[in-house]
Amino acid sequence: MLTGLAVIGVARFLQQRQDYENATARSYQREIVARNRLAQGRHPAAARAAVISQQRRRQELRDEISSETRDTALLVGAGLIAGLTGAALLFTGLISSMRRPLEDLVDASGRLAGGDLDTRVKVGGLSETATLGGAFNEMAEELQRRAGERDQLDRMKDEFVLTASHELRSPLTSVQGFAELLLLEREKLTPKQAETVEVILDNTRHLVRLLNDLLDLARSDAGRLTIRPEQTGATGLIEDAVRTMRAQLDARGQELSLEIEPDLPQIEADRDRIRQVLVNLLTNANEYCPQGAKIGVKARRVDAEVEIDVIDDGPGIPEQQLEHIFERFSRGDAGETQRVGGTGLGLAISKSLIDLHGGTIGAESTPGEGSTFRIRLPTIASNRVEAI
Amino acid sequence: MAKILIADDSETILLLLRTRLEMEGHEVATAVDGQGVVDKVDAANPPDILLLDAMMPGKSGIDALRELRAAGVETPVLIVSAHTEGDNGTDHADLAIDGYISKPIDFEALFAKIAELAD
Repeated sequence: MLTGLAVIGVARFLQQRQDYENATARSYQREIVARNRLAQGRHPAAARAAVISQQRRRQELRDEISSETRDTALLVGAGLIAGLTGAALLFTGLISSMRRPLEDLVDASGRLAGGDLDTRVKVGGLSETATLGGAFNEMAEELQRRAGERDQLDRMKDEFVLTASHELRSPLTSVQGFAELLLLEREKLTPKQAETVEVILDNTRHLVRLLNDLLDLARSDAGRLTIRPEQTGATGLIEDAVRTMRAQLDARGQELSLEIEPDLPQIEADRDRIRQVLVNLLTNANEYCPQGAKIGVKARRVDAEVEIDVIDDGPGIPEQQLEHIFERFSRGDAGETQRVGGTGLGLAISKSLIDLHGGTIGAESTPGEGSTFRIRLPTIASNRVEAI
Repeated sequence: MAKILIADDSETILLLLRTRLEMEGHEVATAVDGQGVVDKVDAANPPDILLLDAMMPGKSGIDALRELRAAGVETPVLIVSAHTEGDNGTDHADLAIDGYISKPIDFEALFAKIAELAD
């Protein structure tokens, strides 16, 4: 309202100015008429008086306009100051009434981003912040609904994989069992038939491996991948895994060197699962390295951990593949994997298993020179983790 | 050689098990569900070993075993399961199970286990 006063003041000032200029112009015109009469010598006394009167008149007009201008300026100034003060006060009030809801929103966004999908804000205050708060709550509601749907789909997927791998196991048992039975009577088979049965067996074992890997992965996703840790010696475990792999390594003429530090401390580990990880690493070395490659297993104590390295002098792993090597379905390059087979799940599962043991697994490689996979397992009984 | 009662709801797997076990010289009887197991076990003259599929329609291997144990049958038992270790859930400690065999069956391991139990 006070700002309105200032506007009125300015308008009045402009009007006064206009009036003053019009009056002054009329006064000049009258003086000119009087001066003409004076020059023509008509009623000289009256003409002289008129000239003086018009000059006096303009003086009065000037005095009048300056006093009016001063008043108007004062009015405008007062109006402006009052207006600005009012606006400032209003603005401060507005800001403080917006600040609280906005701070709440920032806070709630942080919690929502952090995964707390139950987060909602109190809706109220100015209509703008109330609308914002309402929109935020709707968004949170939607996010929560979608997260719920996704969780349910995940559970259904896990259940499906568990059921499917269970149901596939029975027919596979028959196929593998009867193929083995045929091979028991190998002498009655022609060489071609024996070879055929071996192909069936190879593929069945591959299917079983794939099934086991998928099952482990589904269990891991469902939080049902479990380990049964017990006090055990790392040396025996490593020797076990190497024994399992001996025939395959020999078949490719690969030399295996074992370098185990004497008196390794006991670790707390699920023997079957750690053997599975070691066999997986050795299988990868065996399959990806050429005939005659050198493969080594080294184990030593490092602080409160046992460190096991599986080293090969094979083709190595390019850097961009190395980054993703522990992700599921991450494989060597296409040409290699055609030859190698495997599921692309072994390392992902190995990582899950080592994580469950409270250990770490990592890989280093120089293309053309070879790769090293390193496992570290804690020696102290501090990792009685039953499930992730 | 041992007298073995095997139970599985798959006729194919029964045939496979029977063939392999008989080739090893064992005497084999079969059942296709848990009720068949309960019916075929004579408490007075039980088999040497029971080889039971954990999951069968109707009465499961575990249910049948529970009944037999309640009736005082102390025959050693191997449970065959499509699940690998870890999904067997509870260990059924009260049922005195002597071992789990997972599918596909590793026959060498099975024979070794049977030899151990038949002693």
